[in-house]
Amino acid sequence: MSKTIRSILSLLLALIIIFPILYCFSASLFARTDFSTSPARFLPTTVTFSNYARAFKASNLARFLVNSLICATVGTFLRMSISLFSAYSLTMFHYKGRYALFIIIIATMLLPGDALLIQNYVTIQRLGLTDTYLGLISTSLLAPTSIFILRQFFLTVSKEYREAAYLEGCSDTRFMVTLLIPMSQSLIVALTVQSFIQIFNDYLWPLLVTNSEMMRTVQVGITMLGFSESFDYGPQFAAMATLMCPMLILFIVFRKKIYEGVSTRFSGR
Amino acid sequence: MKGKRIRKATPYLYLVPALLLAFLFCYRPFFLTILDSLYNVSLNGVRLKFVGLSNYRRLFASESFHDSWNNTLRFTAIFAPVNLVITFSLALLCNTNTKASRLSHTLIILPMAVAMSSAVLILKTIFDPNVGVLNVILNKDIQWFSTARDAMSMLVVVGLWLDIGFDFLLFSASLRNIPKDLEEEASLEGVSIWERLRYLEIPLSAPILVFVLSNNIKDAMLMVSPVMILTEGGPYRSTQTLVYQMYLEGFKGGNIALGSAIATIVFLATFLFLLILLAFQKRRVYFQ
Repeated sequence: MSKTIRSILSLLLALIIIFPILYCFSASLFARTDFSTSPARFLPTTVTFSNYARAFKASNLARFLVNSLICATVGTFLRMSISLFSAYSLTMFHYKGRYALFIIIIATMLLPGDALLIQNYVTIQRLGLTDTYLGLISTSLLAPTSIFILRQFFLTVSKEYREAAYLEGCSDTRFMVTLLIPMSQSLIVALTVQSFIQIFNDYLWPLLVTNSEMMRTVQVGITMLGFSESFDYGPQFAAMATLMCPMLILFIVFRKKIYEGVSTRFSGR
Repeated sequence: MKGKRIRKATPYLYLVPALLLAFLFCYRPFFLTILDSLYNVSLNGVRLKFVGLSNYRRLFASESFHDSWNNTLRFTAIFAPVNLVITFSLALLCNTNTKASRLSHTLIILPMAVAMSSAVLILKTIFDPNVGVLNVILNKDIQWFSTARDAMSMLVVVGLWLDIGFDFLLFSASLRNIPKDLEEEASLEGVSIWERLRYLEIPLSAPILVFVLSNNIKDAMLMVSPVMILTEGGPYRSTQTLVYQMYLEGFKGGNIALGSAIATIVFLATFLFLLILLAFQKRRVYFQ
């Protein structure tokens, strides 16, 4: 196949793949009547930004967004702290049952979270944590993969550092903050970003543990904005376009880093 | 003396949060799920009476469960191979060092930036026979939401779109890691595209291909959230998956015991699949 045909074909397919994203931006500019034309339109008749204003004014979208940001920030901070301390304990100390405890934590990967939903919901309900931030983040705090990856990295760090620090009277926390975290900076940044996106984008668990509208997260709230009953999809698309914008920019800016990250993680096999 | 004892306890202390979470949100619910599936359970989760396997008997006798089971298997059987072939072909096509292919690489990973619920909502509108543009583009009048076969096809397309960014990223990374001298030699010797695929690209990407395939099979077996937003299991339960039925029984129907029985079956299916995969991986040795 010649290079030109290949280039054209790959670009064409890429455009088909991102069509839903383009459609979302286009539909966010639709006037109300543009959704009921026949045949259905791809581009708006006249460009209007009123959907964006209506999305935020006529619904609790801003509140949903704040809820999601709180959950993702607090959840990620707690998840990373728990992962760091666990990985630290599993590598820097020698004690009885260390490997067994490691296996106990890692084996949780085998239990699919979605199949545990009913029991986890009952637990949260019994603890009185439905409709709370703690209830929302509770099931995403344990990240066996993060613990596993951090442990692999900490194993490569020489024990002498810690012994020296220990003799100097440096506490574990201080050792972690001043030495270990800076040493594994790129890894920690990657895991933090991944965790933030994961908690922010979660759908099923937040849907189950929130009943009051004020506690809804944005990924759940966006599906219940209430405009679509009257074929008024515009505000919903405006909301989705607003949400995906920062992420799209991040992906375009950091595309090289993303490719490098994946290449190095899998090249060792 | 006391200081030393505290020192000895520290590593355990650091593990307490992780272990507590593992117990509270993984192991305990896992055992309770199995236990509850053998009982009659009240609406608020209290076990009332041991009933043995009668929940399972009820399940196997119900048409709804047969539908879920068949739908889940059908979805997995279509989705996993189709996804592998399409995404890997796409990665092969884009595996050149031209400006156009670099641009395609950037564009094709963009679906990863869209959250699941938004992605499904957008696709739902595009598929909508009244509002959406898909039927206009195809110049057909397909009732995606009211015929069983079309609804399943739609679900597969939605699944593909949700996964394409990440899988493409993995495949193109693995293709890039193929040593350049091997590629050069292949083109010097003038081997055909098929020979190149058979002896170079597929064997050298085998570990990633297996990883993506097994991951997709696992995810497809647990398919639930897109179904909730897209079709709610319809039309006539034709897209009702196992985990979606578990959700319906446990949360909408208030029947925790029946939901737990489905969850237990899902556990068993997943474990079985993992065992098969392990056996398969042990038998085959990939490239060094």
